[in-house]
Amino acid sequence: MDTTQLLKGVLDLAVLAVVADEDGYGYDVVRRLRNAGIEEVGDASVYGTLRRLYSSGALTSYVVPSDEGPHRKYYGINAQGRAMLEAQRKDWQEFAGTMARLLGTETVR
Amino acid sequence: MSVLVDMTELDVAGYAAAVRRGLVGLPQEQVDDLTDDLEADLADALADERRAAHGRGLVEQFGTPEAYAAELRAAAGLPPADAGRSRWERLFPDPVEQTTRLGRRLLVRLRAQAWWPPTESFLVVLRPVWWVLRAWMVLQIATAWVFGSHRMTWLPTAFAEWLVLGGLVVLSVQWGRGAWFQSRSTRWVPVLANVVVVIGLLPVLGTMQSHSRQVDSVYQAWEAGSFNGGSQTVYQDKPVDGVVVDGIQVSNLFVYDAQGNPLQDVQVYDDRGRPVRTTFDNGYDQFWFPESDEPWSFVPAADADGRSRWNVYPLRGAPTSQFEYDADGAPVLQVGSTAGTPPWPFAKAPALAGRGELPASVTDGTVSASGGPGATPTAPADVLPSPTSTP
Repeated sequence: MDTTQLLKGVLDLAVLAVVADEDGYGYDVVRRLRNAGIEEVGDASVYGTLRRLYSSGALTSYVVPSDEGPHRKYYGINAQGRAMLEAQRKDWQEFAGTMARLLGTETVR
Repeated sequence: MSVLVDMTELDVAGYAAAVRRGLVGLPQEQVDDLTDDLEADLADALADERRAAHGRGLVEQFGTPEAYAAELRAAAGLPPADAGRSRWERLFPDPVEQTTRLGRRLLVRLRAQAWWPPTESFLVVLRPVWWVLRAWMVLQIATAWVFGSHRMTWLPTAFAEWLVLGGLVVLSVQWGRGAWFQSRSTRWVPVLANVVVVIGLLPVLGTMQSHSRQVDSVYQAWEAGSFNGGSQTVYQDKPVDGVVVDGIQVSNLFVYDAQGNPLQDVQVYDDRGRPVRTTFDNGYDQFWFPESDEPWSFVPAADADGRSRWNVYPLRGAPTSQFEYDADGAPVLQVGSTAGTPPWPFAKAPALAGRGELPASVTDGTVSASGGPGATPTAPADVLPSPTSTP
């Protein structure tokens, strides 16, 4: 199955979870998602998602100056983001459970 | 190493610039927000890539800058519709795109109607007919363009035309099935053809229709022998109202008595007592006589009961310029003008042998003439060329 299609629906949740773990800048978030096993995600999708979550007020943002590299824009989660993450986590777990039950009965039959 | 670094920086800068170009149309602020760290992120990604020893270039890794920009925009929840569009294009939107969008909206609304789905499925089944018609239309338009509209025929006449039509049908059907012309660079060809065909549909069909009518009449003329120097015989399906001589409608009748003297104010009826009329325009039309330089209009005679009578010959009238229109829009003679008899074809007709002295027809009463000046009752049957009259 093409996991990129599945990922589209839950990319917000994945990004929120990564940022809730620890603040991060754009490519940092991409890297952590990849390390977590989400390989197919496009860089641009992650950056766009970060931008959108920030615009909707779920993330904070701050610039970290760097001596030997470029300045980096970091994203961190705030209370609204946490509430969103909790709600979506619950939704996902319910949905995942439903799918697991459905697929489980399918294989038994 | 330094060369490599430079190259990477150059690549990254070029790629980032291309991505920003792809975001044109968004406010500068949003572009900056979306691409603040773009160079740094790209460089990091490239560095990781090199560490993994794949060593792919930016385009291999991320796809084209345009695709990258589109993905960025989509993920950021920004509408892609205005993407890459200048202020000018937003002020004057692409008409094709506008029409497409309008059509889509219309379709959504139609699909909400109960009667539409069966209609749509019916029309969808008919689509191949349109594909073939479209190819035929392109051939017609091309023929009219290259050779002139007189060369247009319902079906191709030459073998080459059939070949071209066949090729066009293949192109049209393949496009209709979604097999060909799907790439961005060639899509405009069939779209343009479709627009031209839709616009040209009515003119082409109209031209073809009038052509086939002309062809019919020329064929009839040929069949009637008029191309071989003979005169043309016109067969009329419907009887013509009025009096016809030698295929030409007659506007006036001139009656001569047995001695060949002209008669005025002769009433003419057919064998069932119906008035024989030559004109049915009630005085509105204009009639030209041989060798006259002005058309005439006619006025009716009035009978004893005050009714207008148009079967009294010769019809009287006056040059059309002497008429004016009354309040009801009916033509009336101007004050000072009087209705006269149009020029007679000849002052005297040949006298009949042995019939002259006694007007026998007075007694048998089949024809009556009103008492005009110089009117002598007579039987004008010899002069009347088979009148046809409808009630």
